[in-house]
Amino acid sequence: MTLKIEHLTGGYTGVPVIKDINLEIKPGESLGLIGLNGAGKSTTIKHILGLLRPQKGKISLNDVVLTEQPTKFKREVAYIPETPILYPELTLKEHLELTMLSYHLDEKKAWERAHELLKMFRLDDKLGWLPIHFSKGMRQKVMIVSAFLADTSLLVIDEPFTGLDPLAVANLIDLIKKAIANGKMVLMTTHVLADAQQAISNYAVLNNGTIEVIGSLQEIRQHYGLKPDDPFDKLYLTLNREDHSNA
Amino acid sequence: MRELAKKRLSENLKQSVKYLTLVFNDFFILALIFLFGALMFWYAQAMKTMPSNLWFYRPLVGFILWVPLLAGHLVTLIKEADMQFLFTQDEQMDQYLKPMKHYSLVLPFILEILLAGIVFPFATIKAEINIFSYILLVATMLLIKVTELDIEKNNLYLGKKASFSIVSLGALLAALISAYYSYIGIVIGVLGILLVPNFQLTFGKRMDKTMLFDWRYAAESEKARKDRVYSIFSMFTDVAEKQVAIKRRKYLDFLLPKSIAKENPNLFLYRRSLLRNPEYLNLLVRMTVFAILVSWLVQDWRWALGLSCLVIFLTVYQLLPMATEFDRNFMYRVYPIERQNRGKDLVKVLTIGLFIQWLLISICWLIVLPINVSLFEAMAILLGFTLIVVATYLPNRVKKMNQKNFGIR
Repeated sequence: MTLKIEHLTGGYTGVPVIKDINLEIKPGESLGLIGLNGAGKSTTIKHILGLLRPQKGKISLNDVVLTEQPTKFKREVAYIPETPILYPELTLKEHLELTMLSYHLDEKKAWERAHELLKMFRLDDKLGWLPIHFSKGMRQKVMIVSAFLADTSLLVIDEPFTGLDPLAVANLIDLIKKAIANGKMVLMTTHVLADAQQAISNYAVLNNGTIEVIGSLQEIRQHYGLKPDDPFDKLYLTLNREDHSNA
Repeated sequence: MRELAKKRLSENLKQSVKYLTLVFNDFFILALIFLFGALMFWYAQAMKTMPSNLWFYRPLVGFILWVPLLAGHLVTLIKEADMQFLFTQDEQMDQYLKPMKHYSLVLPFILEILLAGIVFPFATIKAEINIFSYILLVATMLLIKVTELDIEKNNLYLGKKASFSIVSLGALLAALISAYYSYIGIVIGVLGILLVPNFQLTFGKRMDKTMLFDWRYAAESEKARKDRVYSIFSMFTDVAEKQVAIKRRKYLDFLLPKSIAKENPNLFLYRRSLLRNPEYLNLLVRMTVFAILVSWLVQDWRWALGLSCLVIFLTVYQLLPMATEFDRNFMYRVYPIERQNRGKDLVKVLTIGLFIQWLLISICWLIVLPINVSLFEAMAILLGFTLIVVATYLPNRVKKMNQKNFGIR
């Protein structure tokens, strides 16, 4: 399985937000999408999830093209959004059951995995709870548990560390590392690079809807003329200056 | 703050007018005119025949005049964001709430005066309340409403809060007593006139100088009030602003399959939505109760059958939004859920719901209507009608809605 994004141009209206994006993630690889607010990270993710129709270009997982076989494509994609979105009428247990049904998982094996994940995120005694009773952090944990339960080839993770306690952040990083080691692909957007670099090896810098550079953090530092011991926040200052000079 | 209140009131009025125009459409107005005409005709006829001055007439007048007081809680239009952005304005909130209180009085005053006009012949002729006492009774009711709103306003500040049900019961008691003993009505009226401004002065001062505004309570109360208003509008039209509070209803879990082996995601979601979303389950219950009540009132199987068929059709019609309800959920669109057959899944779920509705109506018919062969025939016809609606109308409409939303055929 390989995720290929070829010449993707798209956005919300006729005016493209992202322009001619090309990305490739192979099994066991991870990619972090970084950039300032409005750079096009979330728009790229929405295209990969099939929530927006590309104006140009193609997104595929192996030979399965998203726009041609959306359900088959989505069966290989799990998503953790920045803001947790749950079904108000389903309990935690039912969210997991819905994930099992949607991704055609073997119920017995899925429950074994679910119990491990629930214990890890301290949700194992809250199976009967409705989302209204969860805090924001707990809701985010439900999203994480559901995504890792789906056991898909590609994990799309949008700003995952917001609202999580340090223990949950550590567990999530650990899960991402294990997923990559097991040959899964991970695409993540984040501003919290200190946490992200523990799991993600390569990064793509998005600026004004285009990819400026792809590489390791070391290569990105070099590209923007940052010294090895410069804090990474300096990258954002550089992007901000570029943004202003373009304007 | 007064300007902000006026701006919000004007926006609120615009929104209310928008929904009222939708609710009181031509057909509804026509139906209301007929209903009102029929009711007034019955009232005029009854006035000719009913005996005069029975013991319960006066308390009945008091009760009827108390009913409009239930309408129109204090409109505050406080928003959640006010907790953040108006946090420092506690001392100005009294200025903000003044126009709000005046606005809140409009609806109950109109209803009270309208109802007082309708009840006037009965009160003065049959209950033999003299005109002066009656006017004073109505004035007392209006003053009680003002006092109720002042209590609600006082509750918006941190501190001990008066229970609205106790206040309302007190108002009912005052209404019953004033209607029964005209001279006490005069005393209550005079006391009201003296006490209400005094009440405002006493509590008004406390509000301004010593009390902190309870932002969270105010925001929650206003949200609850708006939800109640939207619930009324939503019985007639779609209300975009309405937020639904899901109820767990664990006691209904026996209606869900024990295993998910034979489920699919759409069936799974629709079943739980029907059982836990108050919009849908309450509608089903309300319509069933309505059908039973109407059947009991008409006491004739033909009318009961016709009206119950109408109720079943209206239930299906009002449950149609279920077809596309998950399309607004981001995760529903992200998950690999097939949408091709979801119309059939909804039909399966609603068939069970409507079958239960038919069963309940039929059982109640056996209790409230005269039992004969025709009644059993009516039950069979009602079942046949339900099945036809479920097999033809429902799938057709669901298909159209899915096509409109996603081009699903």
